[in-house]
Amino acid sequence: MDFSTLNDAERAHVQKLIEQKQMRDFMKFYTGLVERCFNDCVNDFTSKALTTKEETCVLRCTDKFIKYNERISLRFGELNQEFMQQQAAAAAQQQPGMNP
Amino acid sequence: MSYLYGGINQQQTINPQNVAMAEQELEIVTDTFQRIVDSCFKKCIPTQYLEGELNKGESVCIDRCATKFFK
Repeated sequence: MDFSTLNDAERAHVQKLIEQKQMRDFMKFYTGLVERCFNDCVNDFTSKALTTKEETCVLRCTDKFIKYNERISLRFGELNQEFMQQQAAAAAQQQPGMNP
Repeated sequence: MSYLYGGINQQQTINPQNVAMAEQELEIVTDTFQRIVDSCFKKCIPTQYLEGELNKGESVCIDRCATKFFK
């Protein structure tokens, strides 16, 4: 994301928006994790308590999802950067110098 | 605005259009990211959860999935 066209005041404003968004995204991540692991692991309602099997499944699910998220965030960051560079290069090519 | 002095100009105004554009770009990027997360999870991670770590196959699958999504 290119913020070089924004002035300082705008940049500060956008930074605040990013922070708020990160907070919201974190909550979404947490609730998504809970729902996903519940749907995949907890299907035995013969008792109110979690069975050992369900508990192990939930622990593995949580571990796995968090590690998965770390890895994919990394890859996404790399790919997105590459993509932005390609876009910038393509845009620069379409506007070859302003020299008369 | 003076070009001779550095530092933040106290009278900088916020152009709402610039901010809106930056915000929109942010939305698009995070939405794309969310889609990648959901799709690649469904495709690469089986729901049996045999262990808490990502095994090699899943790791490779994740890398390829993300790359293909961008293509």
